[in-house]
Amino acid sequence: MTYDTVVIGAGLAGLTAALRLAEEGRQVILVAKGVGSTHLAPATIDVLAVDDKSPAEALSKLPSEHPYARLPVEVVAASIEWFKARVAGYRGGLHENFLLPTAVGAVKPSAVVPESMAGGDLRGGGRFVFVGLGLKDFYPAYLAENLDQLADVSARGIELTLSHEGSLDLARRFEQADLREVIARQLNAQLEPDERVGFPAVLGLRHAAEVWRDLEERLERPVFEVATLPPSLPGMRLYEAMSEPLRKAGGRVIIGPTVVAAETSNGRVEGVVVEQAARSTTLRARSFMLATGGFASGGLQLDSRGRIRETVFDLPVAGAPDRPRFLPTYLEEQPLDRVGVAVDEQFRPTDVDGNPRYENLYAAGATLAGAAPWREGSGNGLSVATGYAAATILEGAQ
Amino acid sequence: MASLETEVLVIGGGSTGAGVVRDAAMRGFKTVLVERKDLADGTTGRFHGLLHSGGRYAVRDPEAAKECIEENLILRRTAADCIEDTGGLFVSTPWDDPAFGDTFLEGCRATGVPVEEISVAEALQREPRLHPGISRAFTVPDASIDAWKLVWGCARSAQEHGAEMLIYHRVVRLERSDGRVSGALVRDELTGRELRIHADVVVNAAGAWAGQIAELAGCRVNVLPGKGIMIAMNHRLVNTVINRCKMPADGDILVPIRTVSVIGTTDTRVADPDDLEITEAEVEEMLDEGEKLVPGFREARALRAWAGARPLFAPEEVADTREVSRSHALVDHRERDGVEGLVTITGGKTTTFRLMAEAAMDAACEQLGVDRPCRTAEEPLPGSEAREFYTLGSRVRAREPVPQLQEIICECELITRERLEEAMEWRHTPNLDDIRRTLRLGMGPCQGGFCIYRATGILHSVERLDHLAANESLLSFLQERWKGVHPILYGDQLRQARLDDWIFQGLLGVQRLPT
Repeated sequence: MTYDTVVIGAGLAGLTAALRLAEEGRQVILVAKGVGSTHLAPATIDVLAVDDKSPAEALSKLPSEHPYARLPVEVVAASIEWFKARVAGYRGGLHENFLLPTAVGAVKPSAVVPESMAGGDLRGGGRFVFVGLGLKDFYPAYLAENLDQLADVSARGIELTLSHEGSLDLARRFEQADLREVIARQLNAQLEPDERVGFPAVLGLRHAAEVWRDLEERLERPVFEVATLPPSLPGMRLYEAMSEPLRKAGGRVIIGPTVVAAETSNGRVEGVVVEQAARSTTLRARSFMLATGGFASGGLQLDSRGRIRETVFDLPVAGAPDRPRFLPTYLEEQPLDRVGVAVDEQFRPTDVDGNPRYENLYAAGATLAGAAPWREGSGNGLSVATGYAAATILEGAQ
Repeated sequence: MASLETEVLVIGGGSTGAGVVRDAAMRGFKTVLVERKDLADGTTGRFHGLLHSGGRYAVRDPEAAKECIEENLILRRTAADCIEDTGGLFVSTPWDDPAFGDTFLEGCRATGVPVEEISVAEALQREPRLHPGISRAFTVPDASIDAWKLVWGCARSAQEHGAEMLIYHRVVRLERSDGRVSGALVRDELTGRELRIHADVVVNAAGAWAGQIAELAGCRVNVLPGKGIMIAMNHRLVNTVINRCKMPADGDILVPIRTVSVIGTTDTRVADPDDLEITEAEVEEMLDEGEKLVPGFREARALRAWAGARPLFAPEEVADTREVSRSHALVDHRERDGVEGLVTITGGKTTTFRLMAEAAMDAACEQLGVDRPCRTAEEPLPGSEAREFYTLGSRVRAREPVPQLQEIICECELITRERLEEAMEWRHTPNLDDIRRTLRLGMGPCQGGFCIYRATGILHSVERLDHLAANESLLSFLQERWKGVHPILYGDQLRQARLDDWIFQGLLGVQRLPT
């Protein structure tokens, strides 16, 4: 069969684009070699991590090479509203960032956050207790001590030793009321009246909303999650929250195969060859959406001789630095950070002369050149905004 | 100012200094060792891990070859727990003259290095990844040796014999009285406090820095720091030490050690042993040479690059550091310069560290006018009493009986929380890099991606660090890991580094931590 669109990549950009198209009645297939960045990242929708002004205002001041600069701020805002209407329980917007504690006790700005994290908002200060559960990926005393230095914030850590389970096992156990009861009993004896309670982000998987509300009721106070090392439970919930409606809208999701080649003719992509278990199939479609991510996800590769490759369509790569590619200081912005696929106004990857390489190929998310997602705190925001915008344009073009 | 009295003061905490402090303590001397950083932080912790058979020097440097094979055999008896008995192969690749094999055989026989020519088919069966175009192959008793284990084994043994180890103590000056060296003024690098150490004899075992120390006594010791870079590949591409059968040159050896294989090395004369930059050209050269040994080398994942400074002793100026003998150099400053109370031991290599220590202490004994025999060639290091070599699977095997009971903090190196806490209490340090040298924390494929946050959280609690000190521990270890990763970032290791960025910058936001 011929699909309307093949989306390559199951991160937030691919999921957003696929869901948006499927909702419009398009025949969509999303194919990815594995689950994407969702399972690694904290699931907050960071648009731009600016401390003192609104993300909306900062968006309008980005240089023209930045992928956000392809989009009017209203479109970014619309993508966020679209997202919030589909994934239950997200709060916030582009007017002002939340300031959430990280697992080391740094303060991180995020525009739109899961409701289970919103209670950790440090704006306005307050008293916070962070609860360790014996989890090797969460150190409440250390994180609390860093936060305690902030004006108007007092923070302390408590360690409740459960057992040495991984975060996934713990999350499953939280879905049973008896564990929550034990924890509530132990905590209620130790909490001051106006303290908010932070847990590592392991409060359930499938029934997380229920787990969180139940803990708030049992503890009679705001309860919140703090994202910690992968696997990311909030990210897994986000993946489910996006892929389920995608399937319901008729989209197919195939996780496992690798896209190894493209079939093209007359400036169009006709199909992509996917390989799994030594069998290859060609997926044909009228249009294609590349959302394979950057170097972290394997969408881009750098070889030992310094050549950078986009791995599916062998697209030209923009922003490749002259030497050096990396600087000796870790926390500096690295010359390679903004490398990616350059696109035209319609999010179609371009040749060096600025013309679209294929008239029916689009790209979104971390594959795009011009952004430094970790440094600027733009990762998921960029994925939602460009996934949404590119799908909108693709839809219009068909 | 605080002061202490000792008989022997050893300067330098590399393998040589650790060997000397053990040797001295075992001869019954009251002994103190000072090291400006951590033990094995210098050249000893930055080599490829080769326990030489001597084969490498059999043609060019027969004296060094003889020393190597003698010491190789002694260490197999006394430091077995630090050694993996990989064996070694010398192979003639298509780029090497097969006739050199005869010269090599002759050299080995003349220096006592056990050698045997085997068929190419046998060599390829043993090491299937080797270049299929090799024309000759020879076996020698090379092995790999864990330098940190070795140095800490010596240190523990020395402590058992009453020696005191002062790490992070830098020598500020050597004390002189009546034309003799009578001790040193040292500064605690962590607290800034100074300490005067009175000693009957000072042994300068500062390796590539030995010239700087000797100068404090007005003596000239011409040590040429020779920079060697190495790259650890994230796999055991080979399980035998592989050498090119030719005159020693750059990038001609591949050493399997622990979970990696290390290609080395270069030899460039540098002015300052503390300033060892790794250039792109050097990395390229290593990868190109790697291809000649193991085709597809460039496609394998490189884990980390580092550089060490060889201490090459040259009686006078030379142009090429490869021309300088790898054999060690002992300078008795009483004899040579009329400065009593000072002995310098430098040059050499980790393989011959014990012999160097013996030579230094023999000279020291002579200066002190006493005759006490060396016992280090017989008595095994703590942990090596059973005379069993370690194997690649040792850590897994030790863990297997209790798979569920202990949490693993560093998955790459199988470090449990219990072992980590023990090491932290024992080392009593805010510096995670010290813990790395003790346990190999953060040395695996993810280069600390998962364990650095955990280790910081645990260190914060075990050492009762305040938040700023804990932040500093985290950030400085991150930077230390980056230092070795950024010169070889490509392929899968770049992908890994990006995941680590995701964790540290995206998830944890460490760039926003107060410092």
